[in-house]
Amino acid sequence: MTALDPTDAGPGTPVRHAARWIAVGVLVVAAGLVAVLATRPPATVAEVQSPLVGEQVPPVSGPTINGDDYTLSRPPGRYVVVNFFASWCEPCQEEGPELVKYQYQHQQSGSATMLSVVFDDTTAAARTYQETLGTTWPTLTDPGGRLALSFGVRAPPSTFVVAPDGRVVAYVVAPVTAADLDQIIARAEASGP
Amino acid sequence: MNRHRFPLWTLLGVVLVAALVVGSGALDTSPPTAAQRAAAIESVIRCPSCEDLSVADSSAQTAVTVRATVRQQVGAGRTDQQIEDYLVARYGSSIILDPPASGWTLLVWLLPLLGGLVAVTGVAVVLLRRRTATRADAPGGAPTLGADPSLLEEQRQFLVQSLADADAEYLAGDLSDRDYLALRQRDMVRLSAVESRLDELRGAAPDRPPTRVLVAEGLLSSDADGVAGGPHVLHAREPDAPATVPVAPAAASAADLPAAAARRHQSRSRRSWWFLGGAVAAFAAALVLAVSLLSSTRLPGQSETGSISLSQSQQIEDTLSRAASLENQGQLGQAATLYQSVLDTHPDNEVALAQLGWLEFETGQQGDDASLMSAGRAMLNRAVGLDPTDYAAHLYLGTVLLQQDDNAAGAVAQYGQFLSDDPTATVLQQAAPEVRLAYQQAGVPVPAGVPAG
Repeated sequence: MTALDPTDAGPGTPVRHAARWIAVGVLVVAAGLVAVLATRPPATVAEVQSPLVGEQVPPVSGPTINGDDYTLSRPPGRYVVVNFFASWCEPCQEEGPELVKYQYQHQQSGSATMLSVVFDDTTAAARTYQETLGTTWPTLTDPGGRLALSFGVRAPPSTFVVAPDGRVVAYVVAPVTAADLDQIIARAEASGP
Repeated sequence: MNRHRFPLWTLLGVVLVAALVVGSGALDTSPPTAAQRAAAIESVIRCPSCEDLSVADSSAQTAVTVRATVRQQVGAGRTDQQIEDYLVARYGSSIILDPPASGWTLLVWLLPLLGGLVAVTGVAVVLLRRRTATRADAPGGAPTLGADPSLLEEQRQFLVQSLADADAEYLAGDLSDRDYLALRQRDMVRLSAVESRLDELRGAAPDRPPTRVLVAEGLLSSDADGVAGGPHVLHAREPDAPATVPVAPAAASAADLPAAAARRHQSRSRRSWWFLGGAVAAFAAALVLAVSLLSSTRLPGQSETGSISLSQSQQIEDTLSRAASLENQGQLGQAATLYQSVLDTHPDNEVALAQLGWLEFETGQQGDDASLMSAGRAMLNRAVGLDPTDYAAHLYLGTVLLQQDDNAAGAVAQYGQFLSDDPTATVLQQAAPEVRLAYQQAGVPVPAGVPAG
């Protein structure tokens, strides 16, 4: 044991080199962070990841805004577009006419159909909204938000595309167009079950 | 002074750790009730439609649904993990407020621990260095030299470097004559002792080259206390030659070196304090993060420990206030949803009934939807029945009677209640045209308090 202090470094010792290396390390980390953020996909991509994609569609049943009972067949046997909406939601109002157009285009062939679910809205307001839009497909009321929870919906509009075998093949969280839906279904057909 | 600091730090640490352990509830071994379990789960589940709020802290419809699901599943006997997995299978892992301890998010957990470790190590190093320095500078603290030649050689080189530094600083004008002399005397004594010891260990004949350091000849030959300013010639010479280094171990006690020792000590002390301050700040930051991550949420029945949470009535007030704000901004659909969310849990809330009733009536009137108007009207009737002193419900119902039924007499009866409930001047001003119209149609004099239309 010695009382001398060899660790008390003077000028020109490795302390300065250590500071330099630390600065270089910080710069490298910062550059890496910038690179990671710059190469990430943009946040505006409408089609998003969902644990449901690739899984079987959750059970869908309940009263409609007209008081009828509705249950989605499992498997449905054709493509079903499940759209969560609210009358107060502006993006929903933007996509509404496109959904009507999509339903009209596939009505004859019966290859695909629409199903709407009210999200966080009153039944009366939703009914007025759907009547104004001129929808002809069933609209479920979803009291208590049970269906929204089973689909993992966070906000309207949220649209799920369900394949004839019951698999969820896409989840879109922005206003969709009829062309978007056709594209999703074409892709699902191409990839197969 | 330094002898007291370490026990104080230790005591502070012990108290802190004890407080954290007690505060976290880790000592409470009683099993949680179902409500406590549900509350604990709800506090770690993110509200699906909110930004960084737990479902326990949110009144959004999605949060209400998740809370109901959690309570239902707790009641069904599912474990906490099963319930979390159920939600993750629907919303993804982001539904859990705490990031998963895997992949990149593992850094979120590791960095605070790493920061804490670095801070604790830093504090320990500083404390040890301070103790070592204190012993070295203590009066009478003569060096005790060991028998390890490599260590001695390291010490020798350190002292040689220290002497060279002192020369450089003196030449640069950074050292006063007195300090320079004192510093040299001290280091030369130590160097001499170290080299003597090295010579002993290696035999009589030293196998190292003679140490050459710069000395200020004029300065060293003068009186230690009477050093005058002015330039001194520096030249290389043998440092351990007794004729030119007039110091002896007996004369080189710390008492002879007050200025240099104090200067070096102060410099080291300042560095240490900066280092210590940084380490403590890092430790405090890591501690705050750890406490926020590890501390338990207040469960039903537990006393508050500083967190702020709204009571149920405060939550309702908050929701109604937000709904009114949205209504004023023209966001009628969202306002209606908030009013409905209040009614879902409190069907007899007269404010929500009155406001939603009026919104539905207005919406139905604009969309020519008789059922919506009827539903709104029924809500207004309920609101008036529940709280006869609620002037808003009377005002809305009076307007409904006037506009839908052309029932001026019925409207006057409601407006009379409205006026007797002391409405605010702003509300009165807004309502004045309809009120005056009703009174005029009913053939009743308009009350004096109603502003001119």
